[in-house]
Amino acid sequence: MTLPSLFRRTPFRLTLMFVALFAAAASAVLAYVYVASASEARARAEADVRREVGVLTAIYRERGLNPLNQALVERILRGGPYLYILLDAEGEPVTRSLNITPVEPRPDDPPERWEAFRFTDTDETGRIIRRQALGVMVRLQGGELLFVAEDIGDTEAYLDRLTQALWGAMLLVVVLGLSGGLLISRNLERSMSRFNTVVAAVKGGDLKARAEVRGSGDELDELGAGLNGMLDRLETSMASIRHAGDAIAHDLRSPLTRMRAKLEVALIDAEAGRIDANDALQMALAEADELLKTFNTVLAIARLQASREPQTEVFDAADLAADMAELYEPAAEDKGLEFDSEIHKGLMIRANRPFLAQALANLIDNAIKYTPPGGAVMLRARRRSSGQVEFSVTDTGPGVPDADRARVLDRFVRLENSRTEPGSGLGLSLVAAVAEAHRGRIYLDEGPGVVDDTGPGLRVALVLPPAE
Amino acid sequence: MVRGLSEAGHEVTHAVDGAYGLMEAQKGGFDVYVVDRMMPRLDGVGMVETLRKDGDQTPVLFLSALGEVEDRVTGLKAGADDYLVKPYAFAELIARVEALSRRRETGGVQTVLKVGDLEMNLIARTVHRGETEIDLQPREFQLLEFLMRHAGQSVTRTMLLEKVWEYHFDPQTNVIDVHISRLRAKIDKGFDKAMLQTVRGAGYRLEA
Repeated sequence: MTLPSLFRRTPFRLTLMFVALFAAAASAVLAYVYVASASEARARAEADVRREVGVLTAIYRERGLNPLNQALVERILRGGPYLYILLDAEGEPVTRSLNITPVEPRPDDPPERWEAFRFTDTDETGRIIRRQALGVMVRLQGGELLFVAEDIGDTEAYLDRLTQALWGAMLLVVVLGLSGGLLISRNLERSMSRFNTVVAAVKGGDLKARAEVRGSGDELDELGAGLNGMLDRLETSMASIRHAGDAIAHDLRSPLTRMRAKLEVALIDAEAGRIDANDALQMALAEADELLKTFNTVLAIARLQASREPQTEVFDAADLAADMAELYEPAAEDKGLEFDSEIHKGLMIRANRPFLAQALANLIDNAIKYTPPGGAVMLRARRRSSGQVEFSVTDTGPGVPDADRARVLDRFVRLENSRTEPGSGLGLSLVAAVAEAHRGRIYLDEGPGVVDDTGPGLRVALVLPPAE
Repeated sequence: MVRGLSEAGHEVTHAVDGAYGLMEAQKGGFDVYVVDRMMPRLDGVGMVETLRKDGDQTPVLFLSALGEVEDRVTGLKAGADDYLVKPYAFAELIARVEALSRRRETGGVQTVLKVGDLEMNLIARTVHRGETEIDLQPREFQLLEFLMRHAGQSVTRTMLLEKVWEYHFDPQTNVIDVHISRLRAKIDKGFDKAMLQTVRGAGYRLEA
């Protein structure tokens, strides 16, 4: 990775920012520690010097100049942290522990004059060192000047060492931070690459590509899981579309073939004068209409499944159920079936009215179609205690074996014993699609039991959520 | 479509797009407009809205492509009177065009409908054929009313489901036929002339 491209990487930029921030904070701490320590050392030295001056001026006040001078000489000989200078009233040095007077007395001096200065000393090995001191000059009653200072070189050295250590630490932070940033950057680069590879693969048309989820539960895993979820949905949608396409092609092929064959036979028959060409055309038209219906239904299911929200309205489903019962009752009775309905009042629902009507029509039509004469069909609509609205159609027909119940909801699935009846195998698929599009469910159960050896019957329930 | 409508005895003017159609329509003299929803330059909804804004109340039959079923509401809101989804049976188109063109003639509120010796009183809600009173269920009454209002015209099963039951879906089986045969049993049984006739490939027609 070249340096400029490295700077464009987010983790590296973040690290740089972090290092800079840390350096600034370290500087602030350093400055604070320095100022605090320095002022504290100065304050302590000041207090020490003041105390010493107090002792010395007391000697001067009580016993005079000579005892003071004597005391100073003793102290200088004894050694100690203090430095002394005593000048007489003319400004001539009397006693002093420093070679050079660090302060020149001036006539306008205040009674106390504080001075910070440096002086030269020798350490244990005889090396000349410059040390820091803080002192005060006090004018005594007789006009003499007393200067007392304390060597604060130790504190200074401590502060110097501290400063050095902090600079060192800062350098370490910068070096560690930069290499850490580089490392994190590399690492993240590698982590991101698992997503980039997936995106590139999907872009290249491989919908099966999935990001690795490491199970660490971190945000990258979350991103990976999200990406995979999205791809799953996409793949299902694509598969569903492809399946619908295949299904349409498959289902339209056989009626098209059938129609073609019939037309061919009709043409031969008509040419031979055996049948009326009109009849053949009528038949072909009816066949074409069936095809169109199948096509429409497949399209409707595909649209419902593509989770395109159907246009909904709020209405009383009891009216719709009653209308359906009224519409289908004569057809059922014509076939010799007993048709009954039990519809509760006030079933307000939010749904697409035409689709719901189609779903109920399909259920009732199936029941009428598959129940042998002498049987019964019952339509019920009621509100469950949960508030959901349940439509159910019960018949006394052959029913659907347990194993086939999920399968019959699929497109173009027709059970063996139903092949003799006309139908496309789309009726229940559409009901299921309507249920799903309305966030509802479809349930298949046994009917009321075996009647006239026709089978256990079937109860199909469509359950939709209530209008909010 | 132009040929089919002409052969059915209608005078047809064809417009290639919405703007041209609007221009033709503004010349006046039409009984029905058949408007495709998807047209170049000016789409069907825009055209019908413009016509209605200009005060043109000529009935409009809207056509839309397969799969645009949900657009029905949009079409009717724009001012269309009827709606047909492609592909349709030609008989269906003719039946609807004729039903729409007839509707304009029957202006004013009628209280009594008469077709031959069949008479319907819309206030008392009674039906007589000759001297015989015919007892009808409410839906049978509505069904007969629709047929009488369109007497002499073919009406399709889909039209009946849409106009009498007010539902737009595929009933799968011959439910409408069963209702018609019940109605037929009531109005034609015992009379010399069968008024309610089946039109092959189209639907039904009530003849005087």
